[in-house]
Amino acid sequence: MENAFIKTENLSFSYENGDGGENAVLYDINLEIEKGAFVAILGHNGSGKSTLAKLLNMILTPTGGKIYIDGTDITKPDMSEKDIIDLRSKIGMVFQNPDNQLVATIVEEDVAFGPENLGVEPAEIRRRVDEALATVGMTKYARHSPHQLSGGQKQRVAIAGAIAMLPECIVFDESTAMLDPMGRAEVMNTIEKLNREKNITVLHITHNMNEALCADRVIVMSDGRIILDGVPDEVFSHVEELKSVGLGVPQAAELMYSLSKNGIEIGKITGDENKCAQKLFDLINEK
Amino acid sequence: MRNKIEIENVSYIYSQGTPFCTEALKDVSCSFKEGIITGLIGHTGSGKSTLVQLLNGLLKPTSGRVLLDGKDIWENPKKINEIRFRVGLVFQYPEYQLFEESVYADIAYGPKNIGLDKDEIDKRVRQSAQFVGIDEGLFEKSPFDLSGGQMRRVAIAGIFALMPEVLVLDEPAAGLDPMGRDAVFNAVTAYQRTTGATVIIVSHSMEDMAKYADRIMVMSNAKVVLEGEPSEIYKNAKTLCSIGLDVPQITRLMMKLSDMGVPNRTDIFTVEGARDEILRLLGKGGNVND
Repeated sequence: MENAFIKTENLSFSYENGDGGENAVLYDINLEIEKGAFVAILGHNGSGKSTLAKLLNMILTPTGGKIYIDGTDITKPDMSEKDIIDLRSKIGMVFQNPDNQLVATIVEEDVAFGPENLGVEPAEIRRRVDEALATVGMTKYARHSPHQLSGGQKQRVAIAGAIAMLPECIVFDESTAMLDPMGRAEVMNTIEKLNREKNITVLHITHNMNEALCADRVIVMSDGRIILDGVPDEVFSHVEELKSVGLGVPQAAELMYSLSKNGIEIGKITGDENKCAQKLFDLINEK
Repeated sequence: MRNKIEIENVSYIYSQGTPFCTEALKDVSCSFKEGIITGLIGHTGSGKSTLVQLLNGLLKPTSGRVLLDGKDIWENPKKINEIRFRVGLVFQYPEYQLFEESVYADIAYGPKNIGLDKDEIDKRVRQSAQFVGIDEGLFEKSPFDLSGGQMRRVAIAGIFALMPEVLVLDEPAAGLDPMGRDAVFNAVTAYQRTTGATVIIVSHSMEDMAKYADRIMVMSNAKVVLEGEPSEIYKNAKTLCSIGLDVPQITRLMMKLSDMGVPNRTDIFTVEGARDEILRLLGKGGNVND
C-alpha cells in the first residue's frame, strides 16, 4: 500500500505476568491501514484489540516488531519527548466509559483541555472548540456541565475533545458499548460524518456486528492474531469461523447461511439487511 | 401463574418541589409473574430503572403500592431490609462493587453478613460459582485478576449466594462481548430453572430478550405500554420502532420484505423463525436442517 497511514511489521506485545514469565497478547501483526479508511476491529474480550489500539497511540510500547505512523517509525529508540507528543496528537482516542474521560466541569472547557495543554494560542483554541462542538452537534450544550448529559452526549463531547487536537486518525475503543440504542446511533452518525466529511481515518473497535457493517473494512482478531480481514460482506460470509471464535454475525448473514444449508441457492452472503431483503425478494418472485 | 410482584397505581417523582422535578413513573399498574423470566425493555429515561428500584424498596413510591406476595412492602417501613434480602438487585456494572481479597470471599460476603453458618456459606458459594460457570480453581485468586466477563459473573454469583426469591438485574450484559453475554444469560437461566425464582431482566436488547425472556414488558414515557409473550410483543414491531427501541435486525428484514410486497408473518424475531418462514414462502417447508 502506497499511502499507508498506519503500518505494523511483525508487531508483538506481551505483559509480564508477575512470576517472571510473560503473557503474549499480540503475535506478529502485519497490518496496513490507508489514510481516510473506516476500519472496524472485531474480536472477543482478550483477543488483543485494545492492546493494538494502545500500541498505535504509544500508550504501550511494543515488545517486538515495528509501527509506522504516517511513515515515521515510532518504535525507534531515539524518539524524543516532543516527537512522541507530536505523533500522539495525530491519533486521538475515545474510550468506552463516558464518565471516565471528561475532566472539566463545563463542556467547552473539557473540549479545550487538549489544545490548552499543547500550548495552542487562545484565539485558536476558541476556534477549534467551537468547530469541534459544531461537528458533533453539541454547540447548544457548550456551557452545560457534563454530568447533566446523556451517555451518547458525553461520548460526543469526548469525540469533540479528540477532534480539537486536529488528529488524522481516531481510535474508538468500544466507545458505544455502554450506550443505549439512541446513544449508539448518535455516536455512530458522528463517527461516519468525521470519516466521510473530514476524511479522518477511523479505527472502530466494537462487539456490535451491525456497527461493523458501516465500515469499509472489517478486521477480526482472535487470540492475538488477525484471522479475517476484508470488506464486511466478505468477512461475514465466514459464519462458522466467526462463531467458532465466539463472535456472532449479523442476523441477515446468519439467515442466508442457514438457508444455503437448506439447499437454497442464496449466492453471496451479506450482513446488509437491504441487500439481503432484495435477494430474498428476487428468490421468492422467481419461484 | 401467580403474580409474585404487583405494582398498583404507582407514581414516582424525583426532586419534587425543585426546578428539576421529573415524573419518572405515571400511575403505573403492572405485575410480574412467579417463576419465570420477564424482560423489561425501554429506552433511556423510560422509567425502567426507577421501577426496579421500587421493587426492593430502594425507592419509596410517591403514591401507590408495591406488593410482594400480596403484601405491601412498605406496610412496616422498619422491616424494609427484609424485603431487600428477598428481592435481590444486581446493578449495572456490578463488577465495580467487587472488593474482597479472593473470589471466594467476595461471593461469600453476602451470606456471611446475613449470619449463615460456615457449611451453608460454603455450599452456597460453590453452587453460585457453578451457576455462573466460575471454576473452583479461581476461588483463591483476586477478583481483580480476572477478565471483565469473569468479574461480572463473580459479582452476580455474590447475589445468587443470597438466594433471593426475586432476582432483578439491570442491564446484566452491557458492554460484554457475545460470548460473555451468553455466559451471563445462561447463568441467570440456570439460577432461575434450579431455584424457581422470579427473575426480571432490564435490557435495551430486543435480540437478547427474544432469546432468554418468557415474557416481555415494554416501557415508554413513564408508563408500561406493552406486555406479553415475546411473539405477541414482536407483532408490534412498528410500535416498538416508533418509541425509539431497536428491534432485531431480522425483524426489520422481514418488515422490509413485507413492505416490498411479500406478505409474511410479522412476529418474527429469531433467525430460525425467519428461516422457516422463507422456506415456506419458497415452498420448501417441512424438513429443516439446523
